[in-house]
Amino acid sequence: MLQEVRVGLLPALRDARGEEVLYEIHTALRIETVEAVRTVKVYRFEGIDAEAARFLAERLLCEVVFQEYRVNEPLITDADRLLEVAYRPGVMNPEAGSLLKAAGDLGVEGLLAADSSVEYAFYGRFTDEELATITRRLLVNETIQQVVREKPRTLLLGGERGRTETIPVRTMSDAELMALSQDRLFLNLEEMRLIQEYFRKLGRDPTDAEVEILAQTWSEHCVHKTFKARIIVDGREKKPFLTRLREATARVARPGQVLSAFVDNSGVMAFYDGWALCGKVETHNAPSAIEPYGGAATGSGGVFRDVMGTGQGAKVIASTDIFCFAPPDTPPEEVPAGCLHPHYLLRRVVAGVRDYGNRMGIPTNNGSVHFHPDFRAKPTVIVGAYGLIPATRAQKGRPRPGDAVVAVGGRTGRDGIHGATFSSAAMTDRTMTVNAQAVQIGHAIEEKRMADALLAARDEDLIRAITDCGAGGFASAVGEMGAETGALIYLDRAPLKYSGLAPWEILLSESQERMVAAVAPEDVARFMEICREHNVEATVLGEFTDTGRFEAYYGEEKVLDLEMGFLHHGLPQRVLSCSHTPGEPEEPEIPVPGDWEGVCCRVLSHLNVCSKEPIVRVYDHGVQGTNALPPYGGVGGVGPNDAVVLTPLLDRSYAAVIAHGLNPVLNRIDAYWGGIWAAAEAVSNAVAVGADPEELVLIDNFIWPVPEGEYLAQLDRAVDACVDFSLALKLPFISGKDSLSSTYRGRDAVIHIPPVLCISVFGRLPDAGKTVSADFKSAGNLLVLVGDRREEELGGSVYYDLHGELGRSVPRVDLGRLPAVFRAVHGAIASGAVLAAHDVSEGGLLTAVAEMAFGGGCGAEINLPEKTRPDFYLFNETAGCFVLELASGTAPAELFAGVPYQVLGRTVPGPELRFSHGGRPLFTVSLERLQSAYRRPMKEVFGA
Amino acid sequence: MVLRTDGTNCDVETAYAFEQAGGSPRLVHVNQLRAGKERLSAYRILAIPGGFSYGDDVLSGKILAVELTSFLREEIRRFVAAGGLILGICNGFQVLVRTGLLPLGGIGPVRTTLMVNDSARFECRWVRLRVEESPCVFTRGAAGRVVEFQVAHGEGRFFTDTATLNEIEKRGLVTFRYVDAGGRPTQDYPDNPNGSLNAIAGITDPSGRIMGLMPHPERNILRHHHPNWRRLKDYVPAGRFIFENAVATARREG
Repeated sequence: MLQEVRVGLLPALRDARGEEVLYEIHTALRIETVEAVRTVKVYRFEGIDAEAARFLAERLLCEVVFQEYRVNEPLITDADRLLEVAYRPGVMNPEAGSLLKAAGDLGVEGLLAADSSVEYAFYGRFTDEELATITRRLLVNETIQQVVREKPRTLLLGGERGRTETIPVRTMSDAELMALSQDRLFLNLEEMRLIQEYFRKLGRDPTDAEVEILAQTWSEHCVHKTFKARIIVDGREKKPFLTRLREATARVARPGQVLSAFVDNSGVMAFYDGWALCGKVETHNAPSAIEPYGGAATGSGGVFRDVMGTGQGAKVIASTDIFCFAPPDTPPEEVPAGCLHPHYLLRRVVAGVRDYGNRMGIPTNNGSVHFHPDFRAKPTVIVGAYGLIPATRAQKGRPRPGDAVVAVGGRTGRDGIHGATFSSAAMTDRTMTVNAQAVQIGHAIEEKRMADALLAARDEDLIRAITDCGAGGFASAVGEMGAETGALIYLDRAPLKYSGLAPWEILLSESQERMVAAVAPEDVARFMEICREHNVEATVLGEFTDTGRFEAYYGEEKVLDLEMGFLHHGLPQRVLSCSHTPGEPEEPEIPVPGDWEGVCCRVLSHLNVCSKEPIVRVYDHGVQGTNALPPYGGVGGVGPNDAVVLTPLLDRSYAAVIAHGLNPVLNRIDAYWGGIWAAAEAVSNAVAVGADPEELVLIDNFIWPVPEGEYLAQLDRAVDACVDFSLALKLPFISGKDSLSSTYRGRDAVIHIPPVLCISVFGRLPDAGKTVSADFKSAGNLLVLVGDRREEELGGSVYYDLHGELGRSVPRVDLGRLPAVFRAVHGAIASGAVLAAHDVSEGGLLTAVAEMAFGGGCGAEINLPEKTRPDFYLFNETAGCFVLELASGTAPAELFAGVPYQVLGRTVPGPELRFSHGGRPLFTVSLERLQSAYRRPMKEVFGA
Repeated sequence: MVLRTDGTNCDVETAYAFEQAGGSPRLVHVNQLRAGKERLSAYRILAIPGGFSYGDDVLSGKILAVELTSFLREEIRRFVAAGGLILGICNGFQVLVRTGLLPLGGIGPVRTTLMVNDSARFECRWVRLRVEESPCVFTRGAAGRVVEFQVAHGEGRFFTDTATLNEIEKRGLVTFRYVDAGGRPTQDYPDNPNGSLNAIAGITDPSGRIMGLMPHPERNILRHHHPNWRRLKDYVPAGRFIFENAVATARREG
């Protein structure tokens, strides 16, 4: 019999978690009938008696100074309704392991299994339908959770192991091949026929494991078919996307700067004193769309492992988060079938990133959130990770025949099966139900202890090669590591979360927090010892061979035997053609505003401009003791900064700078200039804090609708934009990722999510002391605008959007003049002449100046040139432009000789912004009013 | 000794803070203590750093507290009796209250606790703290000073019963309080970031040799740690004195 212990707060105490749920019920669901919510923690134990359960309650689960408990009886008896929410059987509850450990530490014997869940007590006169809405929209994500309606009989999951089946592909018709592919393999007919042909030649049918591993290895997610394809645009053949990007990098990378590009799990550049920095940016859109908390958390976990799996292992030093959602106030009826509401998505994605990064002890210091109604079908969730690694350990490792294949970290379960193939597929209204098992929750502590163990092993030089078990699990990790040698593994050796997995499931499972290391035979014992000391499970699965084959056994049974050559190179290069047909959006006619104050407030409270501080505050940005420029600073900590500055070596002032740029709406108009804008914005953000524009490297992330027709042509133009930018600025791309499935196909609608090109940038600077923040430092200082722009280019701007217009005139950043602008701004900052700097982006000059003033605690007076249209001047969003506050005694004409600049005005003591036009007063607005508009939208969502 | 376990994540910078203050810290995993490969008696200072030990499962710091009181009870008792210093920061503070070492100096019943923040969420922000008059060696010579540290926690609301609170106040065991811009203790968010009773951010045991606090002094030991160091001339990092006091005390007595 299971023992149940319920623990809750003493009745007199406020229940902050319950109040949080109540707040969401009132604000997100607008259900006012619920008056109070309290929460109770429920623990269940199998294998012990009530006496032992009571002992655990007293010693472990409950602190009587503020809590009370009951064993095998209810705790709250006066509620109008009780509702218990637990993880579904098979979804790993991270707390279970701790319960077992602590019970063992306390000497409790016989405990077989433990679980925990939450019971909500509702008070008020609500209806059953309202409670059902609360349950469905706030408390339970049926993908991973369920309402507990009766006490479970057992916590133990069992089952016979699944068998290996043979799939008779040799005799299948085309229709049968496609039926096999649908919802499971996601390969097209041509690819299915290749598999058929291969096995016909071998004279046997494949096992399920073989078909699955081929589908996984050949998935868009893993092999990037589109980026490697031959591309024919308007009848003319162009080089594959990936080739173009790599060739640009080869041309511009300076000797000694780039240590590893495109070949490893992250890209590596040189730092100082024998150290190197690495960076990787990933998307986790599909999992986040159906289970945002777990999807975002495991997205973070995955990209951290990419950094941990670089060279012989790097230490993760920073994380970034970049999201795109539909507006949080989207009416529920506009959310397509099978999709979650953006308000819920936003809050849960933020919570996922928060919990994983904070628990791992990785500062999340840089990010942004963008909103557009067309993200209602699928959000974009981008997570980046950056690492520190000795330069001598930064090259991708190569296993040697005879090296042990060692699985490290978490156990393997059924979770995440088909993640790689699934994330390559377009979302449909069936996605939520059919692919639910592709999602899982993360266990950050498992990953943290693994990271600790791996760094210890690296420092003893015990790791020959290492990689992450990400999409495709062991199949992908071992298959890639052994691509040039061969590998033989025994699937029955893999530690499992529960019995009952078929061999192919063990091979393909995407259970989180696992990595695979190649360890020389003589180092295996010490490697295992280090893992044990860190409470990390490690298992020798097999060895790397010299056979050129990927072989796997389950016991005596051979379940996999494929040539590495066919697995990795069997897929023919695709040929994709498209023609570019530019749309012809209209340029709107906008009247010059009369109510300036109102317009400024509307710009600042636009979702793409407003303060994201409530999000940033839930991320730990100070852990590791390395932060030298926080995301928000200045007076009261309310002024946003453009990039993060870290000092990853605690006893040195060497700085790492990290920033990014994107603006999806511009790609709706023109993917080339939208791409240039994103890259220019990324580098501007870095340069605005003082980064040296020659000491940076770039990472690309393309999140695109399924690349067919016009969307392929736009992708082609976006890649060209990256290449042109790279060559013009002499900045190399060193890592990148494409996710080409942002299309939603419902029963009655097709939604193309806006194409997203996110450019991330990171680099080094010898002295963190020579960086600047964005907050004004004092009154009476000169303000200048540096950079090149045509004010009338407002296409895709927030200002147009306020008028319900998209427009056509995307800002076209002049790549010829941009390098000189960057150099001049960097030079001015390095010379100490710049007190504050901020780049101009969404919301334009007005926003940049207002944000500098918020953190500065002082205002500004600004004179707009006579000949300009004041609204265009204030709201143009051309990237590559900067507002700088200059120290007294500096001469802008000297600092900015040869680059476009204008003197804007001065900082002033009063808490207001005063604008004049051609010397005549235009309007004055109080900072208080602007700031309240600026902070309102996210305050409403997050209640801070 | 800077103690680590699964989920500890402020260990390196905490060790660095001691090192910068002239100490010679070592990172020690709790498994090394359990296995007898390391002994507490070889050290003068035990620091339990921030993080999410064992995921903060059940309650923050609880699983580690159970582990320490189950396996290392005697060793800790001897360490305390021999005059060893113990510092718990953030998760370390949570561990110390859950072992009973705070506020009364001995392993035993849990008299004080750290609850979920009033805001119900993890928050990372800089706060003002006033150093209080107390017997604490870590804050010696600093009473009355107002310093700024970063908090980064979701369970930091100091709570206890009335009797214990009165005893803590009467014996002067509060080392840090959250204060407003005027330097007055406050219950108002966000100056008091979690709703702690009597604005308590840190406490000591009666001997003054065991201290725990929620804010992170180790994140304010370098000039560029302060979020607005660019606005401050000649800024001296305000977290150093805690580590310097600890190392000086240990050396003087060692």
